[in-house]
Amino acid sequence: MSERILIFIAATLALLIAGVALMWQPEMPERPLPSAAIAAGGDFTLQSASGPVSLSDFRGKLVLLYFGYTYCPDVCPTSLAATAEGLKQLKPEEVARVAMIFVSVDPKRDTPERLKEYAEFFHPAMVGATGAPEVIAEIAKRYGVFYAEQKVETSGGGYVVDHSSDTFIVGTDGQLVGKMVHATPPDQVVVAIRKYLKIN
Amino acid sequence: MKHLSLLAVGLMFSAGVLAGVADQISVQDAYVRLAPPNAPATGAFMVIRNNGDKDAKVLRADNPASKITELHTHLNEGGVMKMRPVASIEVKAKGEAVLKPGGLHVMMIDLKAAMKEGDVVPITLSFDDGSSKQVDARVVRPMAAGMPAMEHKH
Ligand SMILES: [Cu+2]
Repeated sequence: MSERILIFIAATLALLIAGVALMWQPEMPERPLPSAAIAAGGDFTLQSASGPVSLSDFRGKLVLLYFGYTYCPDVCPTSLAATAEGLKQLKPEEVARVAMIFVSVDPKRDTPERLKEYAEFFHPAMVGATGAPEVIAEIAKRYGVFYAEQKVETSGGGYVVDHSSDTFIVGTDGQLVGKMVHATPPDQVVVAIRKYLKIN
Repeated sequence: MKHLSLLAVGLMFSAGVLAGVADQISVQDAYVRLAPPNAPATGAFMVIRNNGDKDAKVLRADNPASKITELHTHLNEGGVMKMRPVASIEVKAKGEAVLKPGGLHVMMIDLKAAMKEGDVVPITLSFDDGSSKQVDARVVRPMAAGMPAMEHKH
């Protein structure tokens, strides 16, 4: 009798410890989307230096999607460099299943040619694309991306663009599955990519 | 006599300026991020240490590679990154100011010529007491893992 109670207590304690251990995992910089936001995202078509590019062109691949602009002096290079570094750490068979699209929210200044050169500076497989302002605005709305021009006296062209700095993760089926916060370190990028490659 | 003491005060003052805040400052891991092709601006990053007993302020940074040099920071508002100029960068007594991507930086706007990896850009920091210090910052490719600042140890 008392032995059974002891076993029960031991089992409860073990469960508690296991539970606490699970709860105590340090917070990852990668945030799964709340279920309400999973419906957002979806297909789009933009212009790249080698013609139109659609999200659905990459069906079967995990797509990393980043919204920024080439005049961005710090935030975009930091995020893109970290992501590119993560891609370089993947095995060839893994990287073959991943695509990266850099979408410019500054089509006034970012031509597809300019975007190509910029994106490939970070990773040869990175695609740069943009579109008409209305097209960009509509996509940004679906993905929950914020951007706004800010007048600056001095910088090239007289304005900078405040913009969201998350990298979106689109599953192999084209569904938005998660996002990584700004400047997620390369090894965490690798962790996130492998996780979603396994799920999809 | 009065003139003489004024002169003495003046001399003391200028001597004080010469042995100014800049002498208490040491700078580590200074680098300029290689700008991607066509990018008109880039940032310089470093750790500014104040070894003195008085707080110091960087009021200005200058460099010969860009037409304009400003002190900037980033505000992260719910994942939206906003870059804004700051009037100064404070370096507390016995403390340090860390200039790093996504935060405080020396902004180099309208680059005069394309940079190459390994180039050295002299950056002059000017402090609130009028003293200044030159720092040589090496141009580094943006590689999150290999940024020199990551190797900085306290
Ligand atoms: Cu800046």
